[in-house]
Amino acid sequence: MKDLSELDFPETVRYTEDHEWAAVDGEVVRIGVSDYAQDQLGDIVYVEMPEIGDIFEKGDEFGTLESVKAVSEIYMPVGGEVVAVNEVLVDTPELINQDPYGAWIVEIRATDVGEYDELMSAEDYIEMLRG
Amino acid sequence: MDESRTTPLHRWHLEHGANMARFGGYDMPLWYPAGARAEHLAVIEAAGIFDTSHMAVLGLRGDGARDLLQRSFTKDLDRCQGRDKGPLPVGRGVYGVFLAADGTVIDDAIVYRLDQAAWMVVVNAGMGALVGGHLERQGGAGVRITDYSDRLGKMDLQGPLAARILAAVLHDPGPVLAGMRYFSCKGGFGEIQTPMPVRLRDGTPLLLSRTGYTGEFGFELFVAGDRIEPLWQTVLAAGRDLGLLPCGLAARDSLRTGAVLPLSHQDIGPWPFVNNPWLFALPWGDGGKGFSKDFLGAQALRDDPGDAFTLPFAGFDPRKITVGKDTFVTDLRGDTIGQVLTCVTDMAIDRVGAIIVSKATPPAAGRPADFKPRGLSCGFIKVNRPLAIGDVVVITDGRRRIRVEIRNDIRPHRSARHPITSML
Repeated sequence: MKDLSELDFPETVRYTEDHEWAAVDGEVVRIGVSDYAQDQLGDIVYVEMPEIGDIFEKGDEFGTLESVKAVSEIYMPVGGEVVAVNEVLVDTPELINQDPYGAWIVEIRATDVGEYDELMSAEDYIEMLRG
Repeated sequence: MDESRTTPLHRWHLEHGANMARFGGYDMPLWYPAGARAEHLAVIEAAGIFDTSHMAVLGLRGDGARDLLQRSFTKDLDRCQGRDKGPLPVGRGVYGVFLAADGTVIDDAIVYRLDQAAWMVVVNAGMGALVGGHLERQGGAGVRITDYSDRLGKMDLQGPLAARILAAVLHDPGPVLAGMRYFSCKGGFGEIQTPMPVRLRDGTPLLLSRTGYTGEFGFELFVAGDRIEPLWQTVLAAGRDLGLLPCGLAARDSLRTGAVLPLSHQDIGPWPFVNNPWLFALPWGDGGKGFSKDFLGAQALRDDPGDAFTLPFAGFDPRKITVGKDTFVTDLRGDTIGQVLTCVTDMAIDRVGAIIVSKATPPAAGRPADFKPRGLSCGFIKVNRPLAIGDVVVITDGRRRIRVEIRNDIRPHRSARHPITSML
């Protein structure tokens, strides 16, 4: 397992306590999992994703990541409707390990973009990980 | 929780970025930076090394040792070799289990005959004192039991290139590897000695066994505890250009499961050793009826075989469940029929039409040219009824429900039994 100092936490996205990241563009929010999450999980071998049009509230489980170690649920950082899923991950789930901030999982149209502002900054997230 | 024990390679694991976890009381590597998938595939296609210094090793010496093993170990050491069931010769080992009087499993083991009256018993991590104590209680004159667990280092070198890598580090490898059969051993160190010495090029004596826990061709290497780190580094250097990777327990678990090998205390344990895929560990008499010897636990297996059935399974994609107290097996109607013992993903295999294909499957046996396996979930279930090969059941953690197929085998085209002449 890597030391926190070896992991990448860009300041251009925001983070949840469950280790998802979210990036906002207008009312569309792109969602993935943090470098810390992928490092903890180990090799990801399968990603279960929702369907376009599915509607979730903030905190809802919207999919699972299957790693060599375990099955992990992933949760919505903000509520909204799924407008895109990253189909590339169906055949190459390892992209989440290789590039966790490039390998987004879903894009949603946020019900309330204000929820994005409540997420943690990189600084706050690192602080939380340090415990 | 009490503090984890460590192997002599612990510092090396930490310095090389291993993701560590507690296993069998030891702090062990789960995977290294290459990742468990790459490590699993390296053992199928090239080779991998595993720190197995956490395993426990007992020595049994004296005229009474054979008799003690005959009374307490499931294999019949007088009738276990080849089709004609000859006695276990010097320099050979055999897999079996130690049972309690009620037919439940204390631990599984490989018993090696080092010499006429010297035996080596390799059991699981942290089990040396328990199995040693059990054997002491079985008693018998003329046997001395020694627990070497804390004095030796052990590593497994597994994969189709294992013999080529080993040949590069051994002194005079030709005679050592010539005709070295599956489940044979040579060499020794300290008090653990077979008739034929084996040395590394730097003179380090070692015991070499053509065995492993991956289903793939390879060896287990035993040395004195202070020699394991130099040996590990030497083997790693010899295999670097051949695709050799250091491998952690995650790859070991997925490889052994795909090879239908049990994990002691998880797939076999405190329930009767019956109705499972590993009954070859019992001393079947002629025609497979009855036992060829009496041993501790035999009466219980005959009288009360129980109603639990342990079976291998494979899924239809990589999805698995994390085994816990809330995981169980249901039939297709949703009725609970048992529990999940092991569930992992074998990352070298996938389904191609009606068959399971491995990265090691020859094209003529069905591997497509562009085969890129996604992996298949697989493992073992213990259910309350017999099931047929091909039956489909559901494993669930209460949230996901995954359909899996009962199998008699999981990962095809394994290399463990390939003749050594074809691997050099």
